[in-house]
Amino acid sequence: MSAGTFAFWLRIAGLFLLRSRRTTVVLSLMVLLSVAILIFLSSLAVGINDAMVRNSVSLYSGHIAGIGLAADFVPSRLEIDGVDAVVKRIEYRGLLQQNDRVEPVLLVASEPADEVAATALWRKISAGRYPLAGKAEILLSEYTAERLGLDIGTDVQFRHGLESPPVNFRLTGVYRTGIDKLDRGFAFCPPAIVPGDNASWSAAVFLGDGIEVETVVRSYRERFGDAAQFKAWHELMPDLRQLIDLNYVSMSIVTFIVFGLVAVGVSSAFVIFILKNLREYGIVKSMGVTPFEIGLLIGLEVGLMNLVACAGGVVLGVLASQVMSTIGIDLTDFTSHNRYFAVSGVVTPRLTPYSLWVPPAVALVFGLLASIWPAMLVIRGRTAEIMRGI
Amino acid sequence: MIRVQSLGKAFRSGRRQVEALDGITFSVGQGEALAVVGKSGSGKTTLLNCIGGLERPDSGSIASLGVNVHELSRRDLSMFQRAHLGFVFQFGNLLSYLTVYENIEFPLALNGIPRRERDLRIGELLEKVGLAGSARALPGELSGGEVQRISFARAVAHRPQILLADEPTASLDSQTGHDLVRLMLDVVREQAASLMVTTHDPVVIELADRILHLRDGRMVDEALAAEL
Repeated sequence: MSAGTFAFWLRIAGLFLLRSRRTTVVLSLMVLLSVAILIFLSSLAVGINDAMVRNSVSLYSGHIAGIGLAADFVPSRLEIDGVDAVVKRIEYRGLLQQNDRVEPVLLVASEPADEVAATALWRKISAGRYPLAGKAEILLSEYTAERLGLDIGTDVQFRHGLESPPVNFRLTGVYRTGIDKLDRGFAFCPPAIVPGDNASWSAAVFLGDGIEVETVVRSYRERFGDAAQFKAWHELMPDLRQLIDLNYVSMSIVTFIVFGLVAVGVSSAFVIFILKNLREYGIVKSMGVTPFEIGLLIGLEVGLMNLVACAGGVVLGVLASQVMSTIGIDLTDFTSHNRYFAVSGVVTPRLTPYSLWVPPAVALVFGLLASIWPAMLVIRGRTAEIMRGI
Repeated sequence: MIRVQSLGKAFRSGRRQVEALDGITFSVGQGEALAVVGKSGSGKTTLLNCIGGLERPDSGSIASLGVNVHELSRRDLSMFQRAHLGFVFQFGNLLSYLTVYENIEFPLALNGIPRRERDLRIGELLEKVGLAGSARALPGELSGGEVQRISFARAVAHRPQILLADEPTASLDSQTGHDLVRLMLDVVREQAASLMVTTHDPVVIELADRILHLRDGRMVDEALAAEL
C-alpha cells in the first residue's frame, strides 16, 4: 500500500470520527477516563507500597544496613550517588539497672543531630526529649522505662559486659513506635559516653526517592568487598518484603479485574459504535472497497480514537497522580494502628513506567480486538444485507 | 455488456422459502438503458443487487463485461466494482460523514485518480447536477432531490461502464425525478455506459430503450411487457 493510499484512508477515518462528533466524544471520554483512572489507581498502589517501605526504613533501620564496619572506616565513604544520609551507630549489648530492676538492652550510640535528621524515631517520643550531644543522656522505650520504674529526669545505670565500669545516664525521653522489636530492648544515647569496645560500627544508609536499593548495595559490595556486610531493607525485614509482594499480587488481581471490566466496556462500546454505522460500511463496500481496506478503515477509526483518548487519559492520569503526590493522601485514620505506617499515614502516589503504559496499551489492544468481529461482519457479510442494516 | 443466464435466488422467510428470482435470462448491450419494472416484491432490487455483486445468486450466471462476477474472489469482486460499476440507491446512500465533494471524490480516489483530475471531474459533475455551490455541504443539509443528484454524480464520477440504479426517483417529486432521469440518460449515453434501472416511474419507463418486466421473481415476456 502506497503512502498516498494510506493517507487517504487515514483522512477518511479522521473525517468519520470528526463528524460523528457526539458518538466520538462520548466514546473517547469513556476511554480517556478509564485510562486516567487506571493510571491513578496503579500509581496509588505503588504509593502505598512506597509509604510502607518509607515508614519502615525511616523510623530506624534505613534502606541499607552496613554491619561490622571498621573503626577507621569513614562514614562519608558510604555517601555515594543516590544516598541521602548515613548514620553511624555503635551498638553495645548490656544491662540497664535501676535499684533492683534489670533490663537487657541494645544501647545504640549515635550523633543525635544525625539521628534526628535522618530517622523519624524522635517523632515517636511520647514524653521528654531526644538526648543531647556529648551528654550522658538516654532515650528509652515506654516499655523499658516502665519495667525499670523510671521517670523522665531519673538516673539509670548501664553496664556493658562484666568487666566494664557502669555508666550513669539520665533518662531524657521515652518513645513508643508500635513496633515490638524497637519498643522492647532498644535504648539510644550520644556517642563517646560508653567506654569499651569501639572496634566496629554499623551504618544506617538512607536513600533518595526512587533510588533502587539493589543498585546501591551492589555498588557498596563492589567498592568495599569483605570490609563490611551490607544488607538491603528487604533482607532485614522479610515480613515487609512479603507484605509488599502480597500487596502487588492483590493489586495486580484488582487491577486485572478493573482492566477486564474496563476492557469489556471499551470493547462493547466499540462494537456498538461500529454496528451503529454498519450501513455506512455497506455503502463503502458497494463502491468496491476491498476487505483489507475495510479492515484498515475500521482499525484506523478505532486506533485513531483510542490514541487520542489514551493520550488524554495519560495526561489526566499523570496530572491527577502528580497533584495527589504533591498534596498527599492522608490515610492516618485507617493506618494509625498499623506498624507499617508507624511514622505517617500519608500516601503519595508514584508513577512507574508500568503504570503509565499498561492502561493505554490495554485500551488500545481491546479496542482493536473489539473491532475484529464487526469488521469481519462487514467483510464476510453480503453487501445488500449489511446495507439493510442486517 | 451484461449477460444474465437462468438466474435464481431464494430467500428464507420464516419457514417459507421465497423464490425472489427464478430463471431470469436477458442481456443489456453497451450504451443501452434497460428499465426493470414490476410490483414491490417482484425481485427487481434482488436482480440489481446480484448483477452488482451485492448479493450472491443461488443458480445461473451473470457475465458483466465478460466477467462472471460471482466467480471472483472477494478482493477481485471489489476491484471489479470500483472500476466498472456505479450504484444509485433509492435513498441516495451518501456517506453521512463526508461532504458532497468528499462523497464524489471517494470513488475517484479509490481508482487512483490524481488530485488535480479529481478536482476537475468533481467540478464538472457538480455543474452538471446543478449543485456547484453545495460542495462543502454534508448530506444531512441537502434535500431528497439534491441527495439523489449527488448520489448519481458519485456513481458516474469514475466513468463506470455499468450504472445500476435502484428506484432512483421513488423518493422524489415527479419534476425532480424527471430531471434526474434525463440527466442520468444523458450522462450514460455520453459515456457509452449501460444502464439498468428498477422503477415504477412511467417517465423512466418511457425514456428507457428496453423494459424488463418481473412478476413474482419471473420474467414476463418482453413483448408482453411492452404492451403492458
